[in-house]
Amino acid sequence: MSGSNKKILLEQVADYVKDGDRVWTGGWTVVRKPMAMVYEVIKKRKKNLHLVGNPGGPETDLLIGAGCVIKTETNYIGHEVFGHPYNFRRKMEDEKHQGELFHDDWTVATGALRIMAGAMNIPFIPTRSLKGSDIINPSLDGFKALRGSDDKVPKKKVVLMEDPFWEGDTVALIPALKPDVCLIHAQEVGDDGTVSITGGAFLDYYAAVASDITIVSAERIVPREALELTAESNVIPGEVVNAVLEVPNGAHPTALHRFYDNDPWWFKEYLEASKDEQRMEEWLEKWVYSMDHFSDYLEKIGFKRLQKLRANSVYGYNPDIKRRLDKLGGVT
Amino acid sequence: MTVEEQAPDKTNNNKTSYSQLEMMVIASSRLLEDEERVLVGTGLPLVGAGLAKKTHAKDMVVIMEAVAFDSNPQSLPFCVADARAVYKTRWVPTAAEVMGHFLQGGKIDVGYLGGAQVDQYGNLNSTCIGDYYSPTKRFEGSGGASDIAALAKKTIIIMAHEKKRFVETVDYITSTGWKCRSFDGKSLVYRWELGLDGGPYAVVSTMGVMKFDANTHKMYVDYYYADLGVTLGEIINATEFDIDTSRAKPMEPPTLLELELLRTKVDPEGIYMKY
Repeated sequence: MSGSNKKILLEQVADYVKDGDRVWTGGWTVVRKPMAMVYEVIKKRKKNLHLVGNPGGPETDLLIGAGCVIKTETNYIGHEVFGHPYNFRRKMEDEKHQGELFHDDWTVATGALRIMAGAMNIPFIPTRSLKGSDIINPSLDGFKALRGSDDKVPKKKVVLMEDPFWEGDTVALIPALKPDVCLIHAQEVGDDGTVSITGGAFLDYYAAVASDITIVSAERIVPREALELTAESNVIPGEVVNAVLEVPNGAHPTALHRFYDNDPWWFKEYLEASKDEQRMEEWLEKWVYSMDHFSDYLEKIGFKRLQKLRANSVYGYNPDIKRRLDKLGGVT
Repeated sequence: MTVEEQAPDKTNNNKTSYSQLEMMVIASSRLLEDEERVLVGTGLPLVGAGLAKKTHAKDMVVIMEAVAFDSNPQSLPFCVADARAVYKTRWVPTAAEVMGHFLQGGKIDVGYLGGAQVDQYGNLNSTCIGDYYSPTKRFEGSGGASDIAALAKKTIIIMAHEKKRFVETVDYITSTGWKCRSFDGKSLVYRWELGLDGGPYAVVSTMGVMKFDANTHKMYVDYYYADLGVTLGEIINATEFDIDTSRAKPMEPPTLLELELLRTKVDPEGIYMKY
């Protein structure tokens, strides 16, 4: 078994994440985020992380709220229609937090192109997008103070250039994204690192190839031979995966196609707490710092509630789950 | 201003009460055409696109930036990456294909977007209020809106009509309208001067449907919700910039079918409609 030495425990994940690293978190906003690994990174009190996942969801707001982040480089940070990213907001809006978080605004198309360029090992890529937007306004650059002095930050945000090959259109050259670490949660991973994802791989293939280190948690680790029989849903080859771990419910409270839906009760409690710094700290103590193992966290969520989130195997989601927080009842 | 609180007029048996929010979603969905490829943003556009698919545009191709090409959801997606968007879909691409290939390749007919602030040229802000470096309000950010506004053949914008939203100058141009930021960041230039095609086609609000003058490219009122009691004076008062109302026509009220589908099939839980 060539790949069996890739298996690690959740407690070991933070060993792969160094302070100051550029971290790509897989998934998309409130879908398939590597939450168990993110909780572990928070628990180990990592510092000065530079988040490059496109787009960011609750994992990004949580890492910011826990004081693990100094830079964010993405097109979106939020919880979709559940509510606003209050930790991110506080860092940007409050005078007393000025200078604690550098944020660089991008877009979905350019986030995709930049991580693709990273995967291709080319330094930059042209795009037709961005022209006319303040995203490339030279006087509105959230990383301005860091360019040229921080080697994890591109020296420039954008270079406008006339196409030298064809019609001469002006295009924007944008820098490749090169994450140090990539954290992905999947439905299944082979013991060799082969990653099987359904319901949308998003940009995780590019991120896994572009990153120096890629760690994949999954609902279950299966023999590589089993995944050879379902090759069409294998989206990342094991060659670019450094470590794998089995964490059932590892994307909770985000949704995982065919396994579970978003946990509206989690979002309700989190959004309430994250509005206030003190209550956010209490939330972190209750749900992250005081948990010895992820199984303690799941036990605290409760079996009944996890059952309520289970996806219908035909639809891939749970058609009965209520998604409107202002009318959300208890777990019955 | 909703008429929901008023007793329905029983003498007119086709008359039913409805809200400005419902009229906004219905009016915007009517602008979508059958067989068009529509790139749908998160929020109310998901509702309007769902309604159009169930009424006049059954073969419209609904595309979501994160995950779905020709999506036919049986339940309202919660975001553009939701498993509800994936069930009954012709293709499950990534943003690299949807945005990098189809949108950038000029293959998207309509971008359908929400926003926090809009100006008379249709520039949209979904980034921040106030100074960029120390904002009074910071929003989630562009997502794909900036790309869609730059690269779709046309865009339809949907947002509540308030003076703080329909502003003289947006605090930050996230998504380009007709007259947008020059490369040096110092002035406004027409989008074609930057080599951008497309542009905003309509802004559908809680008071009416605005379009853009073919010569000045400034917003004017094309339709207003007269049936809901909205007046042109109210639109002028809720708009910070001068807006031409000389071409305004009363909007056709919702049909019973549109209202019933919206309330019972498209967003029965009121996730976006907040019933």
